[in-house]
Amino acid sequence: MSDISEDMLIALCDGELDEVTRRRVERAIADDPALGERLAAHRLLRDRLSAHYAPVEQEPPPERFAALLREAAIVTPIVRPRSRRAAWAMGGAIAASLLLGIGFGRFSVGEGSPVAVRDGRMVAQGALASALDTQLAAAPGAVEIGVSFRRKGGGWCRSFDGADLAGVACRDGDTWQMQQLLPGKGRGTGYRQASSSDSRLAATVDALIVGDPADPQTEARARDGGWAAGQ
Amino acid sequence: MSFEADLLALVPRLRRFAVSLSHDRSDADDLCQAAIERALRARDQWQAGTRLDSWMYRIMRNLWIDEGRTRQRAAKTFVAEEAGAHVGFAGDRQIEANVMLSDVDRAMQALPDEQREAIALVLVEGLSYKQAAEILGVPMGTLTSRLVRGRGALIELMGEAA
Repeated sequence: MSDISEDMLIALCDGELDEVTRRRVERAIADDPALGERLAAHRLLRDRLSAHYAPVEQEPPPERFAALLREAAIVTPIVRPRSRRAAWAMGGAIAASLLLGIGFGRFSVGEGSPVAVRDGRMVAQGALASALDTQLAAAPGAVEIGVSFRRKGGGWCRSFDGADLAGVACRDGDTWQMQQLLPGKGRGTGYRQASSSDSRLAATVDALIVGDPADPQTEARARDGGWAAGQ
Repeated sequence: MSFEADLLALVPRLRRFAVSLSHDRSDADDLCQAAIERALRARDQWQAGTRLDSWMYRIMRNLWIDEGRTRQRAAKTFVAEEAGAHVGFAGDRQIEANVMLSDVDRAMQALPDEQREAIALVLVEGLSYKQAAEILGVPMGTLTSRLVRGRGALIELMGEAA
């Protein structure tokens, strides 16, 4: 009898009708008990489905999902600090990501780890520090150096990629200070694909670099000069 | 909030979607993990300011479709061999699995994929038709006709129990 189609009834149930159509459909339902029964069946179906799957959303998700996301979050901001305030905020972000790592043991900062926190700054130590000190770009090693370049404001920076960590570090006095840290390529889970991570490293290099990356001769001279800013 | 924190907040909803799509809970969690991994790899492709939930639902749904195709191919290739070697075992497991399923699970599994995904997004996830149609990459009319058919089938399948 009525001109109410099934999809209008369903749209009413799903809250998808505009005001005018909704009133028209509701009037038709009031006049036609059969329509009312169909609407009730649709409402019951919606309620049953949402009640059936609701507990999944309530239960705590497996820890491995959170771990995956924490691991991905070990990334310091790639923007250069523009002011004292920004520098302070960046320190906070580094500290926060380190704390996450320490808390869950995925990435610990201790004696044997490639980075240490000194005076609130994250610096390379151990094998990573010596690779940054002595290894030339593209030479094979546990850590590989990507590019060496001069940064805005003076001084040397180098990008690196190892089994556990990849990143960009800049020379500061006699230490290498981390500008960015990402999970390394050797994670084995395949989760870190070269394209996305390398593009993040490249973005950091772009933000810091003056001129072109050092050619092999310039790089070797800088290394032999202890990465002094004037080299 | 960071991308990772936003994503973490979505995980409960993504798991629910995964469970409503797949046939069992461990498949659902594998699907969920694969979706998170893919999102992390493809994070450069997500445009800030657009809906992260839509993007994630789309990633998960596409993975699930791809996986389904792989499974179907594998089933066609290996069924003869498997049937001979494991028929008793597989049969027992199947019966057990069916006993564990509720009427809702059974009815959802009986739906064609294209109806099940529409039902899952609108009736379980509570998305608008517009958002669901965008996630599935179909016109509104296609979405609504899948909803009409899917709902009709579910009401019939769950008939006595409802």
